[in-house]
Amino acid sequence: MSTTRETRLDDEAADFVALVEAESGTPLAACLQCAKCTAGCPVAARADIKPHVLVRLVQLGQRDEVLSSRMIWECTSCQTCTTRCPQKVDIAALNDALRRLSRAAGKVVGGTTVPTFNDIFLRTIRRLGRMYEMGLMTSFKLRTGNLMADVDKFPMMLAKRKLALLPPHVRGAAERKRLFERARRAGEPAAAGAKAGGEKK
Amino acid sequence: MSYVFYPGCSLEGTARDFGQSTMAVAKALGLELPELPDWTCCGSTAAHQTDPLLALALPAKNLAAAGGKTVAVCCAACYSRLKTANHEISASPDVRRKVAEVTGIDYDGRTPVLHLLEILAKDIGLAKIAARVTRPLKGLRVVSYYGCLLSRPPEITNFDNAENPMLMDNVMKAAGAEAIDWPHKTECCGASYSITDVSIVLALTREILSMARAAGADCIVTACPLCQINLDMRQKDVAKKFGEEYNLPVFYFTQLLGLALGLEPASLGLGSLVVDPMPLLAAKDF
Repeated sequence: MSTTRETRLDDEAADFVALVEAESGTPLAACLQCAKCTAGCPVAARADIKPHVLVRLVQLGQRDEVLSSRMIWECTSCQTCTTRCPQKVDIAALNDALRRLSRAAGKVVGGTTVPTFNDIFLRTIRRLGRMYEMGLMTSFKLRTGNLMADVDKFPMMLAKRKLALLPPHVRGAAERKRLFERARRAGEPAAAGAKAGGEKK
Repeated sequence: MSYVFYPGCSLEGTARDFGQSTMAVAKALGLELPELPDWTCCGSTAAHQTDPLLALALPAKNLAAAGGKTVAVCCAACYSRLKTANHEISASPDVRRKVAEVTGIDYDGRTPVLHLLEILAKDIGLAKIAARVTRPLKGLRVVSYYGCLLSRPPEITNFDNAENPMLMDNVMKAAGAEAIDWPHKTECCGASYSITDVSIVLALTREILSMARAAGADCIVTACPLCQINLDMRQKDVAKKFGEEYNLPVFYFTQLLGLALGLEPASLGLGSLVVDPMPLLAAKDF
């Protein structure tokens, strides 16, 4: 039926599309390129790749370009794109999947500290069960070397009782550790697939 | 209805005043909010960006422990993660099984989750709240700021109209305030980058503050710990970077409602706000 010219992806590109669709659980082929996602995106103005372009690049299997984009580490997860998409493409879920694939493939763009922050955050709750902001901030500053950022906020936050001095104590530490371990192991096959970068599964 | 309260991490730290004012308002309205024992973090943004299964397992563990009671939540981010877990677990037997393998509990995804605004506006009811108001916030012009995660995506949160939510506006009206219509109710303030990329936060926060002022608001009222601290604490940084002084108090809705219910400012944690609200409250004679 179709009278449009057919564009065929090579195997590697097609595998990347399939991997992203499986990881994000969203149908990328449905995108009409209407750019409604970009119109409502709070960070589109500063983005290296705008949301609708990101979807198009994934459709075309441009693996390296999307996995090393700055945009996936500037998306605020506000869900406006997902909410407004007339084709029900879950672009926020796509971004989450691209973040994971970017990390697994070692393609994270230089300059972002988001993966470091996420790791410290998750390590904190694995260990303590709840967030401990003082501990999180200290670890993050030590890991990123940006010791002076927002230091002026600390005395004010302490004076206004916005920071708990002592770490939380929640029972069930051993079970919590096992839960994290089981989640990590269950996620391994997908991560391995990403590392292989589109090899046949 | 019988509730169990999931405070979330922020209410023990940066949003201690949200927790304090929530408890004070609940007590004044006869609403019992016993804390879920040994609750753990929902995983927040860090989990869903890193490990999708962990991002479902952490909420599932907490929701399963609620014993069938309705889980009451104050933090918009916790609310979003708990509702997302319910949505995905109840929709897919495969997801349910995978989550059960991680948590060791077969949770069906059906524990009801409500934000405190829903409990106030729907379960308790606006008429009953209005009847309890002893010190109406007459002449206080507020803009209600809902942020991202209460109303989006609506298929998951089922909170209110995703583009123009009214629950907080209606609670503020019941408290006697003038709830101003404005276009930035659900714009993102960038709070997830508070620590990792402040340039995003300042640009987005500035737009919201600027629109609140243009709308003629005396103050902003929020329902999310991340939005509140962002809009409140970053005003100094916005002034420094853009040369625009706002000096707009940023309240939790529980703080303003508490004042209207006749509670003392000290019991509502008003001293924890960065932009001092006392001159405004004094000027309005509250």
